[in-house]
Amino acid sequence: MEKTLVITPSRCTACKTCELACSFKHVRNGALGLSRIRAFMRGEGKNVILTCFQCDEAACVKVCPVTALTRSESTGAIEVDEGRCIGCGLCSVACPFGHMNHDSAMRIAVKCDLCKGEPACATFCPTRTLEYK
Amino acid sequence: MTNNKTINLEIDGRFFQADEGMTILEVARREGIEIPTLCQHDALEPVGACRLCLVEITHPNWKGWKGLVTSCLYPIEEGLQVTTNNPEIHTARKTLLDLLLARCPEATYIQKCAAEYGITATSFKKREEETTCILCGLCVRVCAAKGCNAIGATGRGITKGIAVPFRQPPPDCIGCASCAHICPTDTIKYTDTEDLRKIWGHKFKMVKCVSCGRPVMPEKQLEFEAAKAGLDAKYLTTCPQCSQDQTLATVQSSFQSKTVPGGSLEVAR
Repeated sequence: MEKTLVITPSRCTACKTCELACSFKHVRNGALGLSRIRAFMRGEGKNVILTCFQCDEAACVKVCPVTALTRSESTGAIEVDEGRCIGCGLCSVACPFGHMNHDSAMRIAVKCDLCKGEPACATFCPTRTLEYK
Repeated sequence: MTNNKTINLEIDGRFFQADEGMTILEVARREGIEIPTLCQHDALEPVGACRLCLVEITHPNWKGWKGLVTSCLYPIEEGLQVTTNNPEIHTARKTLLDLLLARCPEATYIQKCAAEYGITATSFKKREEETTCILCGLCVRVCAAKGCNAIGATGRGITKGIAVPFRQPPPDCIGCASCAHICPTDTIKYTDTEDLRKIWGHKFKMVKCVSCGRPVMPEKQLEFEAAKAGLDAKYLTTCPQCSQDQTLATVQSSFQSKTVPGGSLEVAR
């Protein structure tokens, strides 16, 4: 069975290590604004982690005019083909959860791809809020 | 299952195998060999407009004949020998960038590309009529890929340009501004205000985010995209920020109602 990113919010301290790990893994200069995962500090035990749900019937995949968004066979994650993406931003609007991010400098969509099977956020999470299992 | 024939070819002295029908550029990119391009885009049909991807080809059977071809269009063939960089190719690319700089001296993207080849000012006569359009055709092709075909190329030779039919606001334009987003030199302009998007002479009424009221996309685009993707239009009427805020609120309320039944967390602990 495919592994999934399991989030246990009660353990989260909103330290934002996941955001840092994600940025350094994916973004050229580690810009935090383009992290594919977000940690929101809302008080102990109420912190929220938001990242792509990798929906089965994903709206982003449906609206993409150039099929730049496809599901990876190995991880089950929806991945952006950066060469194909035309940066129209339609997927950002279509995602009902607001999980698509947009790199305005590169003019491409960015989203969680589970790091091709080794999510950096889960590797670096100090409290095991994020686990890949 | 693909029944594609495997083809053996040589690029820069290295031997590769690839499926029949692939272009030289596709094989080179797959193998990490860099070939510069301006008009190429993975999602769009190659047209060979910029000609920067020139490579030299030859074949053992061609009796020493060799030539420069655009790698984005040239399909691979058995035994082909490709050189991606040598002094001749470098000179050809340099001349192309020199010519582009003569056409568009103000285009910063072209200035940057030319500087990589050591050109800071064009050696040709500068074009009198100012433009930053390099005629790469990305805008025309992206419009076709979206399924609109609202803009096209007009004229030939020095009069060639990107234009709308009869210089009138194109009826097929949905105001998505994909042409403006993909333009490498930012030649295609559009302006967004609270209510209107102005592009190609059109004034499109914007749909407002149902939550915060900020403009999301033109009404015409919303209809088009919803019908094309088979999605309910409500998927496209909330801005990304409000969607995220709503998700956040939903998750937070689920904490209060389920995981902490007795009220605050301190009480529960």
